[in-house]
Amino acid sequence: MRGTLHRPHVALRACGILLLLASALAAAAAAPRPGIDVTELTLPNGMRWLLFPRHESPTVSAGWVAHVGSVNEREGITGISHLFEHMMFKGTRTIGTRDIDADLKIIAEQEKVRELMRAELKVMRERLRRGEIDDLLKPENQTARYRELETQFDDLVARQRDVIVKDQMDQIYTRNGGQELNAFTNEDMTVYFVRIPSNRLELWAWLESDRLIQPIFREFYSERDVVFEERRMRTESTPLGKFDEEFNALFWAAHPYKWPVVGWASDIPAITKAEADEYFSTYYAPNNLTGVLVGDFDPAAARALLERYFGRIPRGEKDPPEVVTVEPKQLGEKRYNAEAETPPTVRVWWHAAPFVHRDRTPLDLLSDLLTGRTGRLYKGLVLGRQIANEVEASVDLRKYAGAFEIEGVVKEGKDPAAVEAAIHEEIARVQSEPVPAEELQKIKNQGKASAYRRLSSPFSIAIQLLYYDGLGEWKYINSYAEEVDAVTAADIQRVARAYLTKENRTVGVFLRKAAPAEPPPGGTP
Amino acid sequence: MTALAGLLLAAAVQAAPAPATPQTIPAHPDALVFKPLAYTPPRAADHRVVLKNGMVVFIAEDPTLPLVDIVLTVRTGGYLDPAGREGLAAMTGAVIRTGGTRTLTADQLDERLDFLAARASTLIGETAGTATLNCLAENLDASLKVFVEMLKEPRFQEDRLALAREQALQEMSRRNDDPEDIERREWNVLLYGEGRTPNRFTTEASLRSITRDELVGFHRRYFHPAGMIAAVSGAFSRSEMIRKLEAAFSGWPGARPQVPPVPSEIATAVPGLYRIEKDVPQGRVSIGLPAVKRDSPDVYALEVMNEILGGSGFVSRITRTVRSNEGLAYSAGSALRFGIYYPGAFRALFQSKSRTVPYATQLVLDEIQKMRDQPVTAEELDTIKRSLVETFPTNFESKAKTVALFAADEYTRRDPSFWATYRDRIQAVTAADVQRVARQHLPPEKLIVLVVGDQKEIDVGDGKHEAALAALAPGRNVVTLPLRDPMTMKTPAR
Repeated sequence: MRGTLHRPHVALRACGILLLLASALAAAAAAPRPGIDVTELTLPNGMRWLLFPRHESPTVSAGWVAHVGSVNEREGITGISHLFEHMMFKGTRTIGTRDIDADLKIIAEQEKVRELMRAELKVMRERLRRGEIDDLLKPENQTARYRELETQFDDLVARQRDVIVKDQMDQIYTRNGGQELNAFTNEDMTVYFVRIPSNRLELWAWLESDRLIQPIFREFYSERDVVFEERRMRTESTPLGKFDEEFNALFWAAHPYKWPVVGWASDIPAITKAEADEYFSTYYAPNNLTGVLVGDFDPAAARALLERYFGRIPRGEKDPPEVVTVEPKQLGEKRYNAEAETPPTVRVWWHAAPFVHRDRTPLDLLSDLLTGRTGRLYKGLVLGRQIANEVEASVDLRKYAGAFEIEGVVKEGKDPAAVEAAIHEEIARVQSEPVPAEELQKIKNQGKASAYRRLSSPFSIAIQLLYYDGLGEWKYINSYAEEVDAVTAADIQRVARAYLTKENRTVGVFLRKAAPAEPPPGGTP
Repeated sequence: MTALAGLLLAAAVQAAPAPATPQTIPAHPDALVFKPLAYTPPRAADHRVVLKNGMVVFIAEDPTLPLVDIVLTVRTGGYLDPAGREGLAAMTGAVIRTGGTRTLTADQLDERLDFLAARASTLIGETAGTATLNCLAENLDASLKVFVEMLKEPRFQEDRLALAREQALQEMSRRNDDPEDIERREWNVLLYGEGRTPNRFTTEASLRSITRDELVGFHRRYFHPAGMIAAVSGAFSRSEMIRKLEAAFSGWPGARPQVPPVPSEIATAVPGLYRIEKDVPQGRVSIGLPAVKRDSPDVYALEVMNEILGGSGFVSRITRTVRSNEGLAYSAGSALRFGIYYPGAFRALFQSKSRTVPYATQLVLDEIQKMRDQPVTAEELDTIKRSLVETFPTNFESKAKTVALFAADEYTRRDPSFWATYRDRIQAVTAADVQRVARQHLPPEKLIVLVVGDQKEIDVGDGKHEAALAALAPGRNVVTLPLRDPMTMKTPAR
C-alpha cells in the first residue's frame, strides 16, 4: 500500500516549490479570500504552536520546526544541522534501548576510541597536505593505528547491538498507523513531521516530547556514513549536483548560505558527537521551536495535551546566537563556465530580498510574469526566437537573504550566448515598459487559484505552516492574497529595475561534456 | 525489556483496566490506550454514473474549497504505437494540450486557460491516457468549454508539433546523463524484454517520422466519451454537474473506440549479474525478478512479505541491515508491484559507494534467503498487519482521491470487492503464508542483479569482507552491458 521505500531526508531546498505555488491573488475585492483560521499559542517555556482543525479524514498531520539550518553552521561543521536531523530518529533514554545504562557505557567507550581515531586523522590530514596521500576516505590511505582502532570501534558497535532496539520510534509509529514519518533540513530550518490516525494524538505527543527532552545519539558514526551516502547520491552522482554546489558557493560572497546544506565532503566525516550534543542544547530548546497540528482533533483537548507533554521541556538557558552576516552588495557580474553531462544550459541568479522583505510579493509576481507557458520568457525564447526548449523564472527567498533565478535550456544547434542575451532583453523590457493591465490581471487570477489550491490537503497545509514559520512568518499562508491585490504594474517595474541589474548577477553557462572515448571492443566480460 | 515483551505488555494493559489517568504521562508509550477508530470505506457504486454517451463518471461533492477537479482516463496508450512510430501516442497526448483547438490558436488556448487560472493537462502514458482540469468553481462553465473543445477538436498546430518534437529529442539526449535513468531503463529491459511494453523506445528516427496526420488519426481513433472514465470532485451540486457533463460531452463525432488489449507477454533475461559502466562514486544496484499479476490469490501474503523484507522503511529488514546497521546506503529497501496487464516486479534496490557495493549486495541476497529459510517473527507480522489496516483510510482521505481511485479501478477492471475485503484478507495472513510465498516467488537462482557504476572500483571491494561481486551472480552468469546510444537506443557492437 505504501510507496515509501526509504525516508527521503531532503537536504536540499525541498520546499522551494511552495513558493512557486504561492502566486498572485484576485482583483475581486468582494469575493471570499483564501485563508485558514489558525489558532496560535505559546507555552510558558517559549514553544509556539499553530493549530488548525479540519475533519475530512480521521487523521492528524503533526510536526514541529526547529529554527536552525545550515545558515547557523560554520566551516568545519557544515552539514551538522542535517546530520542532526538524522540523529533525532535514533531514540531516547526510553525509546531504542533495552538497558540505558549499558547503552550509555558503550557510547562512552566508543567516544574514547573515536578520540584516538581523530588524532590519527590529524596525521592523515598532514599527509594529505604534503601530497603523500590523495584521499582521506580510502582505506589504503589510513594509518595502521587508525585501522586497528576502527576494528576496536566495530567491536563496540557489535556489542551495542545487543542492548539497542533498532529504530524503535519507527516501529511504534508504524504499528500505530503513522505515515510519512520524515524530516527535512534546509538553510534556515529543520522540520519533522508525521501523519497519524486521529485517536493516536497522545502517542505522537509522547514520542515527540520524549525526543526533545532526552534524545540519545546512538549509532552516531554509522549514521554519519549514511549521510555521506546521501551526499554521494544527491550531489556527487547526479549530472549537475556538484556544479550546483559550486555555483551556489560562487553566488554568495560572505553569507553562510554559500555552503551546501548536506555539508562539504571534508566536513561530514569530521563532525563529532560532542559537537552534535552542543548543537542540540543550543538550537533544540523549546524557545527555538514551533509545533503544528492540522486535521481531525479537538482544539481544547489538544491544547491540554500540548501543555502537559511539551510544557515539561525546560526553556533553553540562553537564546541561540543570531545570524549577523549580511551579504555585501555585489559590485560586478560573476561568471561560471562548466562542462557537465547536460544539454547546454544558461542560468542567471540575482541577489534579491529575504522572505519577510516588503518586496517579496512584487518579486514573486515578477517571476510569475516571466515564467510558465504564457510567461514572457517562454513566449520570447521558446516560441518567438526559437532558441531555447525550456525556460523558467523563480524566486528563492530565504530567511536572511534571497535570490531571483532564471534558467533556460538551449535548443540544439543554438548559441548559449543568444539565450543569455535574450534573457537580458526580456528583463530590459520589463524594466522599461509597465506591465499591461490584462497581463497583470492574468497573473493575479492565477495567484488567486493557487492560493486555494495549496489549501487542498491537510498534510500540505501542515508542511506549509512549518515552512513559512521557519522563514519567519507563517501568516503568509493567509496574507498572500491581500499582498497580491496590492501589487501594481509600477511595483513590478520598480523591483525589476532595483534587483535585476548587471552588477548584481551571477551567470552560469553549462555545456555538454564530450563523451568519453569508446571502450575497446570486447571489453571485460 | 524487549520490544516483543513491550508489545505483550501493551496488550495486557489494554485488557486489564489500568490505564494512565489523563493527567499523568506514562513512563512508556506502550501504556497509552486509544479509543477505537471505526472506519467504513466509501463504495464505488454510490459515486458511479453513466452518461448517455457511454462515459462512466465517478462524482463527489466537496465544498471545502471553491475549486473543481476533473480527471479523465482515456482508454489508449503508447502500447498502441505502430512499429516505427514509437512516440506517436506520447506526442499526441502532448500536442492535444499545446496545439490549439478548432476555434483557438495554440497561443489563444494557452492565454485563455491562463487567464481563467485553469490548469489543464493531457498525457498519454504506456497503458492509459489522462486529461485533467482544475479550475475555480466560478469559472467552471468557461473552463469546461475550453477543456472539452481541446479534447474533442484539437488543432494540432504544426509549429507546436515541431516544438514538442524538439523538446522530446532534447530529453532523449539526457538518457545516459543520470545513472538512475540508466538503471531504471535497463532494469525494465531485463525484466520484460527489449521492444516489448513497457520498453518500446522512442528513437530520433521514430520521432522524426511522425506526421501531423498521424496525430490526428490517433486522436480520432481513441478519444471518445465512450472510451473515457471521469473522476469529478469539488464545489458543485451533483445533479447540476451531471447535467453539465452530459451537455459538454454530447454530439461527439466518430464511433465508440475499439481498443486492442495491452499485450501480456514478456521476455525476461537469463538470471545473472548485469553490469553497466558509469563514472560515478556510488554504485546503483537492483535485485529482483518479475512478480505475479494482481489477480493472484497470493498478493496479500506477498504484500506483507515485501513490507517486512524491504517495503516499509526502517521497520523492514533490508533498510535495517544495509542502512541502519551498516551505514552502507542512504536509500535501501524493496518494492513489489503487482501487474495489471502483464507480470509485476519485485525489486530490492540500494545505492552505495563503489567499494561497498559487493558487501551490501551480499547482505541483500542474504535477507532474501532468510525470508525463505525462516518464518517471520510474530512481532514483525503484527507490526505490518496493523500498519496496513490502520493506514487504510488514507486511500480515501479526500473526495478527489476517492473518485480517482474508483476511476482507476473501473479502467483496470479491478474486482469490485477489493476494498471491502482488503483489511480482512491482510489480517488473515500468517507467518507460514509469508514464508510460503517467499519460497515460491523469490527463488534465488532466478534473480537478476543489475549494477550501474564504476565497475573497476566496485571490484576493489571494501577490504574487510570477502564478497566479490562476480561470485554473487545467480547461475554464475555475468554480463557486461554496453550503454545504448541515447538517440537510437542501439548498443555498440561488442
